[in-house]
Parts: sequence; C-alpha cells; structure tokens
Amino acid sequence: MKRIWAQCLKEIAQFRRDKLTLALAFFLPLVALLLYGYATRLEAKDIPVAIQNFDSSSLSRDYVDTLFNNGQLKMVHWTDGDAMRQLDLGNAKAAIVIPPEFSRKIRQNIAADVQVLVDGTDVNNARVVKNSILATTQYFVRSHHLSAGNDTSLLDTEVRLWFNPGRKEALYVAPGAVAINLWIFPCLLAALAMSREREYGTMLQLFTSSITSFQLVAGKALAYWIVGMIQAMMMLFLAIVLFDIRLVGDVVIYFLSLSIFVFCSVLFGLLMGARAQTQSAAVQMVATAGFTTALLLSGFIYPVRNITFPLSLISYVVPARYFVEASRNAFVRGSDALSQIQIPLYLLICAFIFYMAASRVLRKMQLDR
Amino acid sequence: MPIGPLVKTTRLGALARKEMRQIMRDKQLIFILFLMPLIQLCIYGYALSPDVNHLRLGIIDYSQSPTSRGFISALCENEVFERRDSGDSEAALGEKVRGGKLDVGIVIPPELERNFKSRKVTEIQVLLDGVDANTAGIANAYINQIVMSFDRLIRTGSQIPFQRAAPQISFVYNQGLVSNWFFVPGVIALVLNLVSTLVSSAAVVREKDSGTLEQLLMTPVSSFQILTAKIIPLSALLLINVSVSLFLSTFLFHVPFRGNLLVFFSVSLLYIIVGISIGIFLAAISENQRQTLLTSFFINLPVIQLSGAISPLESMPPFFQWLSLLDPLRYYCSAVRAILLKGAGFDAIWRDVLALAIFAVVLLWLSSARFREQLK
Repeated sequence: MKRIWAQCLKEIAQFRRDKLTLALAFFLPLVALLLYGYATRLEAKDIPVAIQNFDSSSLSRDYVDTLFNNGQLKMVHWTDGDAMRQLDLGNAKAAIVIPPEFSRKIRQNIAADVQVLVDGTDVNNARVVKNSILATTQYFVRSHHLSAGNDTSLLDTEVRLWFNPGRKEALYVAPGAVAINLWIFPCLLAALAMSREREYGTMLQLFTSSITSFQLVAGKALAYWIVGMIQAMMMLFLAIVLFDIRLVGDVVIYFLSLSIFVFCSVLFGLLMGARAQTQSAAVQMVATAGFTTALLLSGFIYPVRNITFPLSLISYVVPARYFVEASRNAFVRGSDALSQIQIPLYLLICAFIFYMAASRVLRKMQLDR
Repeated sequence: MPIGPLVKTTRLGALARKEMRQIMRDKQLIFILFLMPLIQLCIYGYALSPDVNHLRLGIIDYSQSPTSRGFISALCENEVFERRDSGDSEAALGEKVRGGKLDVGIVIPPELERNFKSRKVTEIQVLLDGVDANTAGIANAYINQIVMSFDRLIRTGSQIPFQRAAPQISFVYNQGLVSNWFFVPGVIALVLNLVSTLVSSAAVVREKDSGTLEQLLMTPVSSFQILTAKIIPLSALLLINVSVSLFLSTFLFHVPFRGNLLVFFSVSLLYIIVGISIGIFLAAISENQRQTLLTSFFINLPVIQLSGAISPLESMPPFFQWLSLLDPLRYYCSAVRAILLKGAGFDAIWRDVLALAIFAVVLLWLSSARFREQLK
C-alpha cells in the first residue's frame, strides 16, 4: 500500500512539471467539451429553400407563407437560372416548384402536384425537410378546407415528449460529450506516463526495485484517477453552466459509475502505454483504439442500434457506450438507481480486465530481461 | 527537360530522393498512409447512421376492435417501428419508456370503435422518449403521417390519399437516402487531414530528433530547398493516399463519383499543401515527436469537429458556423461532397477552391517562415 502511494505521489509530481501535459489535461478537455457540445448538432434550423412560383395567385402565396411558418425552412432569393440550379450550387437544400395551374386545379377539385426536390446529400436533414413540407402542407389543406369529402378527421394524436419536451439537442449531446471526453483524456495522459518510463529507460530501474507490476499499475492508476476526477468535475461544472443540464437521476449511482469509468479509462491508457514502445506510438494507439471507438461506437452521435452488424459487436465491449447511457439516464431521463445497477458492475469488470492485462504485460517484460 | 536527369543531378532531386527513401523505410508512416483510410472509412462508414428505423414500439390496445387492429398493423407494416412487449397497462408502458426499454409507446383508448361509429374524434396517446431529440422528431413525424393516412382510410375507404395540394417529394443526388454517402466524402477529407499533418510533421521532426537537421544545414542546400524536397515527395504520396480513399469509398460503399477526376485531384492537392504546411508548422514549434503529436491534438480536434465532416455545418449554432469559416477542412470537405455526389465543377465550388488556395498560400508561407526562423 505504501509503495502504491509512493508511486502515485511520484507520478503526480512528474505530471505537474510538464506544461504541455498540464494544458492537455486541464485546458483541452474544456475546449473539446465546447466543440463537441456545441458543434454536434443533427437537426438544422432555417434550412434554405428555393421557391419557384409559376402561379401568382393569392392561394399559392398563402401556401408559400404556410411553408415557411414553422421556422424550419428559410426562403432564399436568387437571380439566375431555375430553382434546381440553386441546389447544384449548394445555395438551397430544397427546391419547390408550384405549377402555373395550382390555384385553378385546386378550385376545380383536382389534385395540384407541387414538385419538391430535396438535396439528399445530408440524409438526416433531407428527412427533416420532407417531414416539414408534408406537415405544413397538411396544415395548409386543413386550414383552407381543401381535403376531399368529409373534412373532420376522426383520429387525433396527443404526443407527449418525455424527458425533453422542447427537443433540445443540447440535452442529448452534452452528457455524452462529457462522457467521451472522460474516455479520451485520462486515457491519453495515462498512456503517456506509462510509455515515458519505457522511452526514457526508467522502467528498468523500476524493474530492479522491489515494486511488483501490480503495485506499479495501481499507483499510476490512482494518480491519473485523481487527475481524471478533477477533469470530470471541471467538465460537469462547465456543462451544467453552459448547456443548462441538471442532475435529475440518482446521484449515488451516477458518481459510482463516473468514478469506475474514469478508472477504466486510466487503466486502458496504462495498458496501451505498456504495450507501446515509444510515447508517440502510445498516442497513436490511444487515438485509434480509444478516440475513434468512443466517438463512433458509443452512441454519442447516433443511436447505437444503427451501427451495422459486425461493428455493432465491438460496440458492446466499449465501456464508453455504457457510461454515455448512464450519463443520459442521470441528466435527462432521471431513471431510478435499481434499473441501471448493471452499468457500474459492467464498468467494474472492464476496469478489472484492463488492470490485469496491463500488469501482465509489464510482468512479462520483467521476466524477459 | 525530362524529369529523370533532373532528379539525379540537382540538389533538390537528391534531397527529394533521400526523403522518399526515408519515408518508405518507416513502417509506421506506411501504415498511416495506406491502412488509415481503410480503417477510418470502415469505422465511420459502418458506425454512423442517422437512419430512423427499428424503433422499439409498445402498444396498449384498450379497444381490441377491428379498427384498432387495423391501426396497429398500419403502424407496424414499415421498417420504422418494431413491436415489442409493452406490459399490460398504461402505467407499465410508461415505465418501460421511462426506463429506456421502449422508444415509443402508444395507447389506444377503449372508446375508439364507439367514437368511430358515432363519428367523434378519438385521441390517441403517444409517448416518445425525447432524449434523442433528432430521432424523436422524425419518429413523431412518421407517427403523424401514419395516423393521417389511416384516418383517411377509415373515413373515405380509399387507400390512395387524395389531397388537393399534393407535394411530390423526391430526393436528388442521393435518391435512396443512403446515409454512408454523407459521411464517406467527409471521411476522405478527415483522413487526408490527419495523414498529411502527421506524416509531414514526422518528416520534419525526425531530423530534429536525430540531429540530422544540423548536418543538412552544413551542406550547401538552402532551407528553401530542404522544405521543397520534403513537400514534393510527400505530396505525391498523399495523392496516392487520397486515391486509395476514393477507390475504397466507391468500391466498399458504392458512393458515386459524379464529378471530374481532374477537379477532385486539384482540389485535393490544394488541401495537401494546407495539411503539409500545418504539419511543418507543428514540427517547427515543437522540440520532439512527442510534443508534435500532443500539439496536433490541439489543432486537429477543432479542425475536424468544425469541418462538417461528421455533423452537418448547417445544424451548428451560428457562432460555430462562423468559427468554421476559419477552418480549411470545411472547404475541402464541402468541395469533396459536391464533387462526388453532385458532380460539381469549378463553377459550383469556386468559393471553396478560392478559400483553400488562400489557406494554402498563407499557411505555407507561415510555416516556412517559422521553419527558417528556427534554423537561425
């Protein structure tokens, strides 16, 4: 125990000495939180739409007004070419062409086809545009009593959006952003620390001392766990202030998951660092194995169930996936503790596996010499 | 004058040959150049998908009538919703949505059939897990469309919707809304950015680490020649890297290439110069490879996140959209997307090309100035 503590103190002393590492530990995570938190948005507002109205009647102008009423779409003005050309140039995301006989046909009770071309490059917003146009047209038809036969519909929906009634994307993104940053940064710092011993040859000195590989890993893990928890508190504070999220779930289970998750991250970093020959190789390994998996396989951006089959299997062993879930439970859903007790348990297993693996890698190296 | 003797006889040629050999010897660099595109394209291409389908739907049907059964089958006959066990009461259903076991819950009231016969309006309750705001919005729209068309069906008996103002919506550039098509061009840009900065900074900082920079300086070559000799072979290799990415994206993901290859490669060459300049700059301000790599985090993270490669630029808050104007990758990313998917030529993307050219000149000038400065 005393050895673990000594190793931990030594590590913290070394950590405090390097300015670049300090910036990496306490400045970059906050910048990253801002970038991930603000710049990860899926649904666009004010999507530019080019309208070509060949029918200059008041009815068609009403229709155009209705389309832009709900704030999702924004009209663009252009001078040359037709509406489709604006799509090619990237000035508009959709082109709506209202035919010359629009109002005449409607008055004669014939369906007037409105041609809508939607830029499908951004698949998600293409869907948003489609739904928006369908819904506003429906509203237009109802409000002008244009539907066929009996007008009053018999079914009505009463939609209740739980947890996030305003559909604010920040609520979805911010807790996830904290989680993935906690996977990236403590992990990176730990990997650097471990590979530094290799690169500078101080590992040999450690091997000649009486400290065991298990104690070594535990000491380093403890040091970077403390650093990681400080990062966690800073990021949570920033997220609560800026993104207006509140802890609505069970406090105990969230902080339990958080502390074990930071341990997981640190131990994974130590494992990578123990395997790498140099510090730059360690950074590369963490960037590929840690960064990418946390960002893409954790359900941070899109739901995990959308991941295609062979890759979806990997997502099950990514600890970030579970902590992203736990964070959303704690900050948005407010689930009770019992329903998510498996998350800290799973994270604990991960941490244990990483710990054993890292210690074993080091012990092997020791026997080789 | 043919190139062959030029390479063999001039100083620049000799230096360039030396650079090429050094790069070819470095296994890590070769890995980055050729395997990185494959790995990144596969992970991004298969992991990211904004599709809204297979949402877990729970239904409590208090009505148990032909109408309600018709409604349920209308809800479930598409790919969007997948019916799951919903418990046996409204409260149990609510608990499942709250616990994240279901994405959507629908409660059909007992009076549906009766209301329908007496032509009264029935309210159907829809519970949506709103945590994922984007998915919830699209799911909500789908439910409304299904309810609307079912309503029309039971009122008029006709399956074909008749509406006097009928939007005929079609998607252009990506008719089937294949989600890969959005991400893959972005990943081509992202990989080129990562690889070009990493490889060029490694090429410069290696000389520093091993102290060969001083030796080079003792020879009669100028610092300008040293830099040019690094940039030319790197550019050639990075062009190969981009071709690998392009080949993989059309081969693996069937992303169309509708544009002109010449346009694509000239825009890519511009970004290669940008990337190499960033790399040289990083190497010039740091003392060893470790510092270069760590500093690259400070640059690459914002550059990638603000480029629109992963989440669309149009969705970002205004301030971040404005900030992204300072991000060279943004222009390359949108140019690649336009060239691949829309078949855009210079007339459509000239703004991106102009911005990239300015970035290339300014960054190249900055980094070579910085490089020369540290030699003094």
